[in-house]
Amino acid sequence: MARSDVAQAIENTAPSAAVAQPGSAMMRSLVGGLVTALPVLAIGLAILNFAPTYYTYLALGAFVNLIVVVGLQVFMGNSNIANLGHSAFVGLGAYGVAILSTPLAMKKLSIPNAPFGFATLQLDPVSSALIALMVVGIVAAVSGKVISRLSGVAATIVSLALLIIVHSVFLNWTDLFKGNQAFFGIPKVVGLPWMLVFSVVVIVAARLFKDSRWGLQLRASAQSPQAAAALGIDARRLRLMSWVLSALICGLAGVLYAYFAGTISPKLFYFQMIFNTLAMLILGGMATVTGAVTGVIVLSVGLEFIRSIESGVTIGAIQLPQLLGLSGVALGVVIVLCMAFRPSGISGRHELDELLSRFFRRNAK
Amino acid sequence: MLSVDNLVVRYGAVSAVRDLSLKVGRGELVALLGPNGAGKSSTINALTGLVTPASGRIVLDGQDISRVRTEDRIRAGLTSTPEGRHIFANLTVGENLRLGAATRRDPKGVRGDIDRFLALFPVLSERYGQAAGTLSGGEQQMLAISRSLMSRPKLLLLDEPSLGLAPKIVERIFDFIGELKREGLTLLVVEQNARQALRFADRVYVVSAGTLRYEGPPAELADEHGLFNLYIGG
Repeated sequence: MARSDVAQAIENTAPSAAVAQPGSAMMRSLVGGLVTALPVLAIGLAILNFAPTYYTYLALGAFVNLIVVVGLQVFMGNSNIANLGHSAFVGLGAYGVAILSTPLAMKKLSIPNAPFGFATLQLDPVSSALIALMVVGIVAAVSGKVISRLSGVAATIVSLALLIIVHSVFLNWTDLFKGNQAFFGIPKVVGLPWMLVFSVVVIVAARLFKDSRWGLQLRASAQSPQAAAALGIDARRLRLMSWVLSALICGLAGVLYAYFAGTISPKLFYFQMIFNTLAMLILGGMATVTGAVTGVIVLSVGLEFIRSIESGVTIGAIQLPQLLGLSGVALGVVIVLCMAFRPSGISGRHELDELLSRFFRRNAK
Repeated sequence: MLSVDNLVVRYGAVSAVRDLSLKVGRGELVALLGPNGAGKSSTINALTGLVTPASGRIVLDGQDISRVRTEDRIRAGLTSTPEGRHIFANLTVGENLRLGAATRRDPKGVRGDIDRFLALFPVLSERYGQAAGTLSGGEQQMLAISRSLMSRPKLLLLDEPSLGLAPKIVERIFDFIGELKREGLTLLVVEQNARQALRFADRVYVVSAGTLRYEGPPAELADEHGLFNLYIGG
């Protein structure tokens, strides 16, 4: 068969030196992911060893946000479609383990009338987590079927609808989810060390997906749907794939949150979380996993600082008044400024390891 | 190799292609010419599976592919380079080439093919790790064609390879296309730029307003007046 191989004729010419070996591409991607996770690990270990308990608690919240934002990046960063529904999956993960793993004595108080025998069922934390993630996966697969057929604003609106539907179910199916009240008594089995382990795993997984053939094809189809289609790339299938993976990571964040806080309520998994995590991703730069990590670190520290001002501070003899709502204003300002001056976020298009290797190469010259 | 019978493409009530039939033989370079809006791109899109024809048959090597998915058409040996280049500007040159092999499952062979294109176009090798958007227009078109060739097609459809490029660059691109033909690749080239397309064409089809106006060797079209008449439908 006549092949299009123009270059058969020049096969004997010197091979190009610039060629990367795709065999080692996965290895490089793995190392890159670990490099990106390094600052997170360092911060985590520092807090674990030196910080007072209050900060440990704050850090746990920040790590949950980190996992959510990395999950969000898996879908948004690769498909370039804004997602406003991801905290629904965080909530499903959290409520899943709450319903399955809460001790029976506690359930008698909180959900005595739970359907399907959940009131008399108690599983160990690991099985509960696996089942909760399975439920997240199923909901993601079904919603993803719809979302992957759409693109742009239409997909975003469907994701928003998903958030509102899941939230209403949490609020109104009181026999199972306890409605507006806090669901308490979930076994507190996760501390900072586990949170760190999962953060690193999730960061590496997100990076591996981004650099995989699926991630690359999805990014290509987001850039030029026409060219990608002409090359036989099935954008729908890839969008669905990234949507489900993204949902599972967000679900995992919910599981971990429930296991460290012990108490959850529906409002935790609603607009506030969407805005916080979205602002983090946009600020850091959604095109890269590094961006997701950067955004979480910068905004977590920044928001905590603002919160301390919010409640009124005393500097020397001056007592500043309470500035309630300042953190909300700051969040909005951050998004607006970022969109105006650096729309690709702090880290832009390059991962941390890529920036580092460029830096060293430039200095070596 | 390729035979298209009575192809009809409709967008709603508008017929873009009406009852078009054409044939491309093995090793031939066939030019499909016509003015803007004549239905050339619609024909290409029907051939690649990006639009579903309202009626008609597309047969590749004896296999009816009229209702087959794009990726299976590519596996069967029919790849297209879409109009307007459409390289993935934010991805690197290397990633663009890798994406051309999206339907292939032989990493070693893909790597070998990438090496060959880099040796063929030194500029692609120099810019291997850089965003493809930094290439010049002509280089982008070379990359786009190379990317299509990564799927190892038997028949390559080129949609307006000269679009938006300076005459000198267009000439280089057609030199490359001529080289591809000499290598034994079968090509169907859709063009508005008739002069360049006729340089290497074995046969020519001219479409206007969705229907075939001329079919035959390029020599008879060399009379510019005749081509002009066909273009304006005279």
